[in-house]
Amino acid sequence: MNDTSPDRTERELGEALAALADGVRGAPDAYSTARGDWLRRERRRRLVLAVLIAVVFTLATLIGLWVLNQTPSDRGVIFSGAGSTSGVLASLPRTLPGCLVPCASAV
Amino acid sequence: MRHRSGIPVPVPQPAVPAEALAPAIDDPADAEREAGVARLFELHYTPMLRLAVLLGADDPENVVAEAYYQIYRRWRRLRDTAAAEAYLRSTVCNLTRMRIRHLQMARKHAVRSPDEMVASAESTALLRDDQRALIDTLRQLPTRQREALVLRHWLGLKESEIAAAMGISPGSVKTHTARGIAALTQAMEARK
Repeated sequence: MNDTSPDRTERELGEALAALADGVRGAPDAYSTARGDWLRRERRRRLVLAVLIAVVFTLATLIGLWVLNQTPSDRGVIFSGAGSTSGVLASLPRTLPGCLVPCASAV
Repeated sequence: MRHRSGIPVPVPQPAVPAEALAPAIDDPADAEREAGVARLFELHYTPMLRLAVLLGADDPENVVAEAYYQIYRRWRRLRDTAAAEAYLRSTVCNLTRMRIRHLQMARKHAVRSPDEMVASAESTALLRDDQRALIDTLRQLPTRQREALVLRHWLGLKESEIAAAMGISPGSVKTHTARGIAALTQAMEARK
């Protein structure tokens, strides 16, 4: 049998990996160190999230207020209420097809 | 404490009391998560650390701590403890691969520091000459081949489990394993 066959390589590899792994030991305070880091990162993540939400909410509110402030302050034509008391609103004369000027029947 | 699957899970006592590290946890879900992660840490920390070392991570403690943080964040989406172990293994593989890729990019622009070489030599100091040569050759293999070989020959996983951990198909696992073993055999032959 060949000394350097894949089977032998596999066996030697398994032994070498096991020997290398046996030399690895975790630090005794690994859990407390890691947990402190998780809690710190989690707190920071929640803080960043809260700040982000607050910024978005404030921006949305400010933009909404600005848009409302831009609307014209004079009265509009739709709900003027002039000339109608029976619920039928007055409208401007419309041009019908075939009429160059507003037709009387359209009014 | 009772796990989601309905099986009672004993709560381990961590080495350092929780109240010494953080304020008391009022939410029962948070308390369950803390206990679950502590138990996982106790069960799997050393094997995961060893896996990171064998995969060639230069800072295995950070890699494993990051993997545990990932599982700490996604705890509510976890199915059971067995899924947690597989998830941890997969995360350690991915993080180590990303770390190695980052180092390879960094080394293209900088000379390897003496500290890294010392750290690498320390980890293999207890091995025999032939084992050290084999491990050195393993570290020179492409990352995927090295991962497949470590998961197969150290953890003894099946192809389907290796495929799940590496995020590739079982056929690719077979290919990576065969190529890796062939490269190692060739290197050992050349050494003799």
